[in-house]
Amino acid sequence: MLEIDGISKRFGSTVALDRMTFTVHPGELFGFVGANGAGKTTTMRIALGVLAADAGEVRLDGRPLDAVSRRRIGYMPEERGLYPRMAVGTQLRYLAELRGRSAADARAAADRWTERLGLTERRGDEVQRLSLGNQQRVQLAAALVADPDVLVLDEPFSGLDPVAVDVMSDVLRERRDAGAPVVFSSHQLELVERLCDRVGIVRAGRAVAEGTVDELRAASASELVVVAPAAPTGWADHLSGVTGSRAAEGGIVLTLADTSEATLAGVLDAARRTGPVHEFRRRRPALAEIYRGTVAGRTEPAGHGVAA
Amino acid sequence: MSPALRPVLLIARREFAAKVKGRAFVVGTLVVLLLLGVYAAVVATLASNEDTARVGVAGPATALTDPLLRAAPTEGLTLTVVGAPDPAAGEAAVRAGDLDALITGDPVRPRVYVATEPDGSLERVIVDASAATARDAYLAGRGVDPAALDAVVAEAGPAVVAAEPPDPQAGRRLGLGLAGAFLLFFSIQTYGAMVAQGVVEEKSSRVVEIVLSSVRPWQLLLGKVLGLGAVGLLQLVVLGGAGLAVAAAAGVLASGAGLVSTLVSVLVWYLLGFALYATIFAAAGSLVSRQEDTQSVLSPVTITVLLGFVVGFNLLTSDPRGTGIAVISLLPPFSPLFMPARVALGVVPAGQVVLAFGLTLAFTAATLWLGGRIYANSVLRTGARVGFREALGRARG
Repeated sequence: MLEIDGISKRFGSTVALDRMTFTVHPGELFGFVGANGAGKTTTMRIALGVLAADAGEVRLDGRPLDAVSRRRIGYMPEERGLYPRMAVGTQLRYLAELRGRSAADARAAADRWTERLGLTERRGDEVQRLSLGNQQRVQLAAALVADPDVLVLDEPFSGLDPVAVDVMSDVLRERRDAGAPVVFSSHQLELVERLCDRVGIVRAGRAVAEGTVDELRAASASELVVVAPAAPTGWADHLSGVTGSRAAEGGIVLTLADTSEATLAGVLDAARRTGPVHEFRRRRPALAEIYRGTVAGRTEPAGHGVAA
Repeated sequence: MSPALRPVLLIARREFAAKVKGRAFVVGTLVVLLLLGVYAAVVATLASNEDTARVGVAGPATALTDPLLRAAPTEGLTLTVVGAPDPAAGEAAVRAGDLDALITGDPVRPRVYVATEPDGSLERVIVDASAATARDAYLAGRGVDPAALDAVVAEAGPAVVAAEPPDPQAGRRLGLGLAGAFLLFFSIQTYGAMVAQGVVEEKSSRVVEIVLSSVRPWQLLLGKVLGLGAVGLLQLVVLGGAGLAVAAAAGVLASGAGLVSTLVSVLVWYLLGFALYATIFAAAGSLVSRQEDTQSVLSPVTITVLLGFVVGFNLLTSDPRGTGIAVISLLPPFSPLFMPARVALGVVPAGQVVLAFGLTLAFTAATLWLGGRIYANSVLRTGARVGFREALGRARG
């Protein structure tokens, strides 16, 4: 279990992180989303010991991370980088050994991951002679080659071709299924929604929402889609429990103050009084919408700890 | 092995392998070896080209033969005197280059025929010979035996007792010291700059973030300095060994007590000097993110070292026992360059060596601490050059 507990970081007068807190459980794929500059990369760098936090603590399985336990983390930095003039195989073995693997383990792991990622033919080539796509694969292999117990990946999908995205998704699921806590950041919200068990949304250095996509949905405003072709404009404006409405999705979308039986029954009855009702359903907002609502709509980080 | 040291050795091994297998190292070392060989060949040729002369005598000047042969050794000249059948044939031989000079006429005022002008030492030999002939004739005319007079004169002369007899090896020792200083300077500059380049390469290729998620900055810095230091040491040993072999083959170098102590002090001071300069270079390199900017942060360091080297080198050649070189060799940043040279010259009291060693150790420790801090603070900062004040700020834990 990877716990980020109240870490703060300032760069000069800029507050990069303000008591950032979230938890990634074993066997869980955690998506870390937020605007550029919200503090995702800084959080990961601190977790990896590349930066020092001003306050707070990062714990792995209940113990504060130190130089030794950090080697159990597989890391892909946002700023991709490898030794350009080092051969792929040698480089992977070197990085595995730096993380404490024996020479034999390192060799076996380097061979295994180059094969898995389709780089077998490239083992002897210098990294700088590889195509950008293959360099990305080597970068992923570099994060995995030390057989890490935890994965922390900063924007692992950026710059990948569709095939590589599939390979990357498979690998992440596989590690998750093997019981590793896996956390990655991404701007591709559809991907995060599809892939992640839980999601954390950050804004201005704080985690403003954390939970499964369904939990986040439940916490965001409840909406109801009603398609009643014969209904006059504004038919639902003054119903009890309805706080707003807009025309969308072929009918109107109502924002509800609560989802009690009484409110729902009141809306349905009102709709039926206008004529035929073709559709009446709870709306499931996409993660992208929840994200926009969370990041843009709140000045107070009220969603903090929704399901934490 | 201590778990903190394994990564250091891994990093050192990588740096060593990357450089030694690189073309630059192999080609560079071969080129320097080749230059060394050419230099030795030139020196050997010059040394074998001894001062020899061949003169012809004809007519009354034949009497000069013995005085000429007696005078030649005092000028360091190997002289061959041949009798010419007649002056015309002798002059033809001079023009043909078979003879360096033809001596004819009165032995006291001989006529010397040469191609263009007489060789300096040959001219002095001829002057001596004719003067001796004139003197002997004068003495003999007054009933004095010239040979007896020479024997008496030869007995005369002072017995010099020196408080500090000059070292007959002084020239060789100076050569050894200067060569040592130059090799140290060359090696420290080259491999120090390589450390800086390596730091900047890791920064510019961003690989440093992955590496630093596995190891501490001090481990990376130490591994780099050790690895590249070992490459520099290897080259130093190859070049120094080749130089010594060449010098020994050319007969310039007599092995003696001074040789071993010089070699030991060069090695010890190299290690200390490299640790000192490599740390400075690494800290300087960590301030920039692109290879193009490296030179701007390295030049203050390299220029300081170069100035110190030039000044020290001049002091060493002009006045190896002077106060100036003594002071420079005691100042920590320059001790590694000049202390071995002074040790080679045998002019340095043991106390000064110990003092310089202690000062340099303290200075190196301070540099490691400060440089390590600058490095740790700057190595992950990309983009603009990191300011000195920021670089010195609180180091990460």
